[in-house]
Amino acid sequence: MKIWTIAINTFTSFLHSKVIAVTGLLFALPVAMGISSVLIFRGKPELMGSMLHDLSATLQFMSALGSLIAGFAAADAISAEMKSGTVLAVMARPLERWQFLAGKYFGVLLLMLAYTIAMLGTGVFLYRLAGLPFHTPWWVLISYPFVRYAVWASIAMLLVTFLHPFVTMAVVAVIISVVTVLASPAAANYSAWIRVPLHVTLPLTTNVLSEDRFFSMTQASLHRYPWAFHATALAYGLNYALVCFLLAALVFHRRSLVRG
Amino acid sequence: MTPAIEFVGVSKTYQRRFGQPPVAALSDISFEVARGEVCGFLGPNGAGKTTSMNILMGFVHVDGGESRVLGCVPGDLRAKAQIGFLPENFAFYRHLDATDLLRFHLRLSDRRVEDADALIAELLAKVKLDGYKGLKIGKYSRGMVQRVGIAQALLGKPDLLVLDEPTSGLDPAGRKEVRELLLALKAEGKTVFLSSHILSEIENVCDRVIVINHGRVIRAGLLPEMLGEPDRVEILIDRLPEALAQAVRQLGASVDHQLENIRIVVNSAHKRRVAEMLWSGGSDVLSLTPMRSSLEEIFLKLVGGPEAE
Repeated sequence: MKIWTIAINTFTSFLHSKVIAVTGLLFALPVAMGISSVLIFRGKPELMGSMLHDLSATLQFMSALGSLIAGFAAADAISAEMKSGTVLAVMARPLERWQFLAGKYFGVLLLMLAYTIAMLGTGVFLYRLAGLPFHTPWWVLISYPFVRYAVWASIAMLLVTFLHPFVTMAVVAVIISVVTVLASPAAANYSAWIRVPLHVTLPLTTNVLSEDRFFSMTQASLHRYPWAFHATALAYGLNYALVCFLLAALVFHRRSLVRG
Repeated sequence: MTPAIEFVGVSKTYQRRFGQPPVAALSDISFEVARGEVCGFLGPNGAGKTTSMNILMGFVHVDGGESRVLGCVPGDLRAKAQIGFLPENFAFYRHLDATDLLRFHLRLSDRRVEDADALIAELLAKVKLDGYKGLKIGKYSRGMVQRVGIAQALLGKPDLLVLDEPTSGLDPAGRKEVRELLLALKAEGKTVFLSSHILSEIENVCDRVIVINHGRVIRAGLLPEMLGEPDRVEILIDRLPEALAQAVRQLGASVDHQLENIRIVVNSAHKRRVAEMLWSGGSDVLSLTPMRSSLEEIFLKLVGGPEAE
């Protein structure tokens, strides 16, 4: 109940903050690009390849933007409370520190769920506008990016418990970039000294962490992989998120709530 | 019965970055506040008051010593459920109005009430904020934010109130209301631990006073004991010839010409002699009042005197 109260408050705080305005603006840019591309190339079969390329780029951009927003929102959710001092009045209540952190985390996840649904809606809209069939099941388009955002949010939350928020954001951006490259389909061509550690550290999670892989997942590929594969891949992602959250809770429990 | 607040040899040092020397905020401080007492926590800026309050709320961990609040270690949920806290220069969620904020805090508290709206309306009326429904806290004045802060501190019907500068940002009328509120809480038997730079307020409401400076307790005790017995008298007269003025000054008296009368302050040992001199010299003695040192005088002596070093 208390965790949910904080989560809802965190979510509504985002809706009243600059985060939502910046997100909306950045989200609108690729959408405008996708719509322009569809309107230009629609009805010209010889340019179908260009349109598909643009649509794919649009969806990848939105997906990658979501990763950055997840990291930024998680870092901001904690650092803004610490900086303004609002955390003191809240933590004076009979509330454990991990409960506060969990409330903040779930507030970020609510934001990212809304973002993911908006992204799915935009994808469906663009494909329908282009007159293309949309093969990928909706639950894949929600669960995979959502779990990925949960991972990035937990990493950012862990880092911001002991780093400055700007440093946190920079580190999260670097991690996202590196992992995106490492988890891309091209990773199969990497040298063994990259592939083996990658396989050990990110088993099955390449599907979760890749920014573009889930978009190319068709109904046929889903049939090829049993549901247990997806469940395991998503569970691995959630496991990373849980470990990072627990570490964040440990650091947050030991630190001072007062800046300076 | 265990004390409401207990500090035993508590030390806290803040580490600083980039090779700067650490800052000792508290050095081996010990004090107690009994249940039902109103205790003033005094000290100049940077003395360690807010650090002490943060420690007893469980926001900051100590480096050494022990502290207990309501018989529990700081941060214990059982203790926090019985504490109302007003932080110094606190901030609240700017997108909420006062009702939403109090509802948010009520959900986080362990207090269960049948009619939350009625309780919130009652608290807002108590702090004179009942006419601002729908106005976001981000648009509040500093004094209004402080009033919301006081309302949220009272929300859980606490046994112990920890108030860091409760009258900060309030106008004289607001300060008077807070003083009356503190007196009402005292009458209810609540324990109040407050810091304030307005020493006349402390003097009016507190049973006990603790003075700290440079992270050390330099004086602690019951307020009447600290103020002591009256040691001077204030004499108001209508006129004072110059020769008589020189005579009373020779006895160590201070003479202050006020708008409607003349005020003479003299040591109690000379009060009879001065009064007789004034009567016999033709001055009309309007009043003669025993005086003792104010808390402000004692405080300034303590933080500026050898005990402060």
